[in-house]
Amino acid sequence: MKMTLSQWLGLSILLALLAFSLLGVSLSPYSLSEQNLDAIMNAPSMEHWLGTDHLGRSMLTRLSYAVGLSFVLSLLCMLTSSLVGTAFGVWAVWGGKKVDTILGVVVNILLALPGLVVVLLFAAIAPGSFLVLYLAISLVQWVEYFRVVRAITQGVIQSPARQSSQMMGFGRWYQFKRHIWPAISPSVFTLAAFGGANAILTMASLGFVYVGIQPPLAELGLMTVELFPYYSDAPWLLAQPLVVIALMVFAFHLLAGKRA
Amino acid sequence: MNVLLKLTNVAVYVGDTCLLEPISLSLNQGQPLTILGQTGSGKSLLAQAIMGLLPADLRVSGEIEVFGEVMALEERQALWGREMVMLPQEPWHSLDPLMKGVDQVKEVYQFVREKDVQEALALANDDLRYVGLEGNGHKRPDELSGGMAQRLAITAATAGGAHVILADEPTKGLDVSRRDGIVQLLQARSNLGSLLTITHDVTVARQLGGVLLVIKKGRLVEQGEATQILDFPQDNYTRELIAAEPCAWSDMAPTIRNNSAEDILTADNLRLERGGRTLFDGLSFSIKRGEVVGIVGDSGCGKSSLGDALLDLLPISAGKLTRINKAAKPHQWLKLYQDPPSAFSASVSLGQLLDDLVTLHGIDKARIAPLMSRLSLPQGILTRNCLAVSGGELQRFAILRALLLDPVFLFADEPTSRLDPITAKEVTTLLVELASDAGCAVLLVSHDAALLQKTCHQVIAI
Amino acid sequence: MKAMFLKRALQLITVVWGVGTLTFILMRSLPGDMAYRIAASRYGQDNVDSNAAALVRAELNLDQGALTAYWHWLTDLLQFKLGDSLVSGLPVMDTVQHMLGHSLLLAFAGLVLSVLIAVPLGLLSAWRGNPLDSVLMGFSSVIRAMPVFVLGVLFILLFALHWNWFPVAGFGSPAYLVLPAMTLALSLAAVSNRVVRDSAKQTFQSAFYQFSRVKGLSAWQTFRQHGVRNIAVPVVAFFGIQLVSMIEGIVMIESLFSWPGIGHGLAHAIFARDIPVIQGAALVMGILFVLLNTLVDLICLWIDPRGAKKL
Repeated sequence: MKMTLSQWLGLSILLALLAFSLLGVSLSPYSLSEQNLDAIMNAPSMEHWLGTDHLGRSMLTRLSYAVGLSFVLSLLCMLTSSLVGTAFGVWAVWGGKKVDTILGVVVNILLALPGLVVVLLFAAIAPGSFLVLYLAISLVQWVEYFRVVRAITQGVIQSPARQSSQMMGFGRWYQFKRHIWPAISPSVFTLAAFGGANAILTMASLGFVYVGIQPPLAELGLMTVELFPYYSDAPWLLAQPLVVIALMVFAFHLLAGKRA
Repeated sequence: MNVLLKLTNVAVYVGDTCLLEPISLSLNQGQPLTILGQTGSGKSLLAQAIMGLLPADLRVSGEIEVFGEVMALEERQALWGREMVMLPQEPWHSLDPLMKGVDQVKEVYQFVREKDVQEALALANDDLRYVGLEGNGHKRPDELSGGMAQRLAITAATAGGAHVILADEPTKGLDVSRRDGIVQLLQARSNLGSLLTITHDVTVARQLGGVLLVIKKGRLVEQGEATQILDFPQDNYTRELIAAEPCAWSDMAPTIRNNSAEDILTADNLRLERGGRTLFDGLSFSIKRGEVVGIVGDSGCGKSSLGDALLDLLPISAGKLTRINKAAKPHQWLKLYQDPPSAFSASVSLGQLLDDLVTLHGIDKARIAPLMSRLSLPQGILTRNCLAVSGGELQRFAILRALLLDPVFLFADEPTSRLDPITAKEVTTLLVELASDAGCAVLLVSHDAALLQKTCHQVIAI
Repeated sequence: MKAMFLKRALQLITVVWGVGTLTFILMRSLPGDMAYRIAASRYGQDNVDSNAAALVRAELNLDQGALTAYWHWLTDLLQFKLGDSLVSGLPVMDTVQHMLGHSLLLAFAGLVLSVLIAVPLGLLSAWRGNPLDSVLMGFSSVIRAMPVFVLGVLFILLFALHWNWFPVAGFGSPAYLVLPAMTLALSLAAVSNRVVRDSAKQTFQSAFYQFSRVKGLSAWQTFRQHGVRNIAVPVVAFFGIQLVSMIEGIVMIESLFSWPGIGHGLAHAIFARDIPVIQGAALVMGILFVLLNTLVDLICLWIDPRGAKKL
């Protein structure tokens, strides 16, 4: 797959943020919840490169932790939902009418509620649980892959190219490798990039309404609400999580390429 | 004689590359003019250049004179619909998909001729009746057949009163039986002015008469009276074009069946239904080893479905189908497709696809080279993928791939309908010869009865 | 058509069942003595005794076996007996109705604004092409990258706190509606203007559009006769997809601006563990979602009858 310039830019931003997160978590001398009430809302300095928050905690440490958390979640959701969605999408076409009908019913149930509401309900069952968040987001996201993959695969299955391969005696794995995968992979890739962005957005949204990851852990949406009251005293603090969220989402969108 | 349109050294360029070499012609009142040439020979650009419809990155040079005046682009655009009109190549794409047919004619009366709504509608209905579309006006284009859509498009195009009609491949994709009707309609519509037709179809050129220009790769090779040129062509290219018409082909197969050969397939009282509609019923025939069988019929009559049914790709509704040759493996019953690029995976090179096949069936690689030269396939195409080679080459590659499997039965579903006539002739000839040599039966589907008559041992009409 | 209604009706049933089941699981899985905690939140920590807890336990069927309780839960739900809020003690039905009105106001205002922004800008992009097109598309990409609450926070910082043009949050005079509606509108328009633009571009380049000019119609006549409806088809269809972002946007925006709507109610109820309200709010959102989807289907069918066979 050839990447465009903007896709490279998106990838570079993501890698830079990842590096920031890894280095921050591993090298920072401060811990995540280490408070220092003598040094609250400090401006960036040699000691605290990104300043300190309202409880005197190192912003660098917290931000790098939060970015890492977002990455872990988005990558996990991306992997899970793309694998499940693609597998089921192909299976729905190839597995015969019964499989297709059953999967169709399941998908319609999931589509009956907006994704965020589903995730909110799950989050209500187990507040602050990363695992539940991951499961809920993946549950919502695989449907999108399923629908796209199923639609494209249906076309490929009917295509003369696949039919002719089958007539010439090639097996299913070959047909998948030569015909189905080349047809679906660009869409799966695009969906994955958007899915990564959406996972980050959903987690931040939940944190923002206080039902996601719970304090004292650091999460971008949670940090936004925590720091919001201090917008006039320390605008640079509030700006940090906001800029990072926007940057991550933007980078994923760039990586996704033109198609929305 | 009244000169309606006069071109002096009109040429079309993209950047510095010449797509259409300088051409001069004049279209006279009452004397149709036809431009004949293969697809991709730049002839469509000429009509677009005259209308002023060329894409922005193309450049025109030379003079275009309409009704005795040299006109700039904007002046010509002001004539659209009222004096001069271009018929679309693909009527289905040129009609508004969401608008009822009659409204697409009515709006021309309403806006171009400035009639009130009631009168416009009445006139539109009259027009539709005239072209035999009475009772079909409420349908949207996707509910019309290709021939009906083309008649609707012609009616809509000429409702504005234009008498100078430019028609770009007006019969493309139409069955032979529909084609003649369209040609007559065009003649009737242009009798007050004149008609400039662009076509690849020698028969259409013959029917239209008048002046004929033959174009090869953007260059004019011959011009003159249509009958004169078609009966006594001077240029080699013109001769080739005429010879490529199926009715001019020499017979390729003996018309008498070899009765001693064994049957490989018999069909007894077949019935086929698709989407609740019975396509045909009570069809019985048998196919012998090495025989070429043709199926002819209009589009939508179920010729392709019959072929698919014989290959077990579609279920039959009633009757009995017996494949007698038990020794043959499933992969020796094969199909050649209508649209060559759609029959190959574009994800890898053709060479890779060939290797896959060789590995799967343990085919002797030494067989490939001679077969390729027999099909005049250059080695170079193996490194390219299916989108990077021409349709003719790709169809010959498909034949190569099929023959390597030693097929007993090959269903060729209009294998040359997307190819230009000269290439189509080559491909059909090779297919019939090579399959006969290999003792493989061929089921050849076509809408062209003449083609089948020249190539087949037996023809089944549906 | 029939199949479409059938599909939507099935979806409606699954919404009711799904929400009911999820909230039931939620109630059953809460840690500690549920009844005690609810009683505490209702009557205050000091006034709780075992009697009050027993009362709550009976009210919520917490003393029954799981299956019986589930059965009761679902039958109550089907009769739209949604119970009372565990926090305020008010009937959920009334609370939810009240909230729904506010949410619909916000949704409608945001939607109308987004159409007013996206359609002209999208058409302008398609019609004028570059450089305007690139500028507008770049701008919308930037807005798209911002989660809706980030956009809202920026609006509050700029228009409410910095310039003092509009109130920060809450509900009252029409001035309170401006910022939430603008936030919703902008986040929706940043996506849909691209759809309008792509659709318009495709229509302008299509053969039938050109053919209409060749038939003799003027540019404006062509746009009116063949442009509007053909451009609208993908745009309206896309709205069905955008419903999801609209409802998600409402949840976030209401929470941010303390707009007393259903999303705000849901987020609060989840935070406070107010199970009947969670159920009521989620239910209303789900039903609203299905109804709006049906509406979009109908509009799609009306402007593009070709789809009639498929639905």
